Amino acid sequence: MIELRNFQYMFYGFSAAWLIIVLYVFYLVRRERRIQSELSRLKSMMEDRDKKAI
Amino acid sequence: MQTLRSVFTVAHKDLRSELRSKEAINASFSFALVILLIFSFAFDPTAEDTRRIAGGLLWVVFAFAGALILNRSFAREVPNDCLDALIATPIPAYALFLGKAIASFLLLLAVELVCLPIFGIFYNVRWAVQFLPLLLTLALGTWAMTMIGTAFSALTVNIRLRELMLPVLLYPVLMPALIGAIELTTNLLNGEMLSGNNITFLKLLIGFDIIYTALSVALIETVLVG
Amino acid sequence: MREKAIYFMGTLGVLILMRNLYVILLQLGDEMQQGAIYRIFFFHLPAATTACIMFAIALVASAGFLITRKFAFDTAAAAATEVGFVFATMNMVTGSIWARNIWGIWWTWDARLTSMFILWLLYLGYLIMRPAIEEPTQRATLSAVLSIFAFCDVPIVYYSIQWWRTQHPAPVLTTPGAMDPALWPPLLLNMLAMLLIGLTLMMVRLRQERVLREIDSLRRYAHAI
Repeated sequence: MIELRNFQYMFYGFSAAWLIIVLYVFYLVRRERRIQSELSRLKSMMEDRDKKAI
Repeated sequence: MQTLRSVFTVAHKDLRSELRSKEAINASFSFALVILLIFSFAFDPTAEDTRRIAGGLLWVVFAFAGALILNRSFAREVPNDCLDALIATPIPAYALFLGKAIASFLLLLAVELVCLPIFGIFYNVRWAVQFLPLLLTLALGTWAMTMIGTAFSALTVNIRLRELMLPVLLYPVLMPALIGAIELTTNLLNGEMLSGNNITFLKLLIGFDIIYTALSVALIETVLVG
Repeated sequence: MREKAIYFMGTLGVLILMRNLYVILLQLGDEMQQGAIYRIFFFHLPAATTACIMFAIALVASAGFLITRKFAFDTAAAAATEVGFVFATMNMVTGSIWARNIWGIWWTWDARLTSMFILWLLYLGYLIMRPAIEEPTQRATLSAVLSIFAFCDVPIVYYSIQWWRTQHPAPVLTTPGAMDPALWPPLLLNMLAMLLIGLTLMMVRLRQERVLREIDSLRRYAHAI
């Protein structure tokens, strides 16, 4: 009985450890996407302006 | 000598403007009373309970009341760009810092000394048994709080949500000093002498004060001037 | 090239962790007193060491910024703190799950747990404060100062709580028996793997911060014209 619970909690522990890393990676990826879109938006905005100036 | 005089001048200025408006000190004092009231409901302590939690209760009250006073320390200078003017004055940044810290220290200590007898009345605690060691503990704990608090007040003065940021940053850093002060206060209120374990906690408080006074004085120029 | 090096490092870390999973689960027997649950230790301790190394990097980078005023240091400090915070969280969560099984409680105010929690709160404050400051130079300076304040607090917190706890009997007994030599290699390897993963995440975070600065300057430029 105690063995079973031990295994169960070991499993929880391992999953929690991996889950935290995965969640953080997700967070990083989402940020990356947001940052890149912002960057390209700004760049295209600048290009538009340059064209208008010419 | 010159520096000492500028420290005194800044402290004097702060105290005078506070004593004229009494904004922070009134708010802080009434806040302390409210917390004392809430605690009596939250714990409904018997005499025995009170003896055990006295130190913790008092320092929670002081820490909350302190955050109100410390918030004002630099925030008071924001309207009319007073802070820029103060930084531009020909005194070193650490003198400005120490002056402000001393002013807050005196204000907070005054609030604590008024709260102490009220606490004694509300909770039936005889607080004057070991008065001088207790006063020393209050002074050391309050000094730790004002040092870090004033430094963080300068740190957060220009950021959004400064009233919320200060406690979030202040309390975790303050933990060791609070632990020492709480244990010491509980023991002294229970009539213990200043010896044995209490000396250890006193040393902890003094050490904490020295380290953080040095650190704050060393870094304040960076914080204020950039 | 640089990109590839970063991802190679990360992949290596994950591979080592995977392989160790096999060693830990199938090759090592159960511990006598604790049974299977002791294996959480192989994640718990490496997470703690990685977090500490990250916070140390953050301290050095913060001091570096205050001395040289180069923004690269500020970026490094921010990235290291965030990654360190993630690993500190992992350390606390896995520890808590272990404690639930062995001690029967999720949490106790024991010296180590309390100091880890305070450390966690300190850096949480750092991470909350950073985005609240708009001006980049000010943000870098103030965060560097805060980081130094926070790091200096850690040893004091640890000792003070130990003194404090000697006052009361500990509610539960930690029983660190001598470790079986067979456990060392996977443990050390896991530490290495975790550190590699941490460094990879930090590098990715660093790159993001750099792009963010570029965006900032583009915005300023756009405003100027």
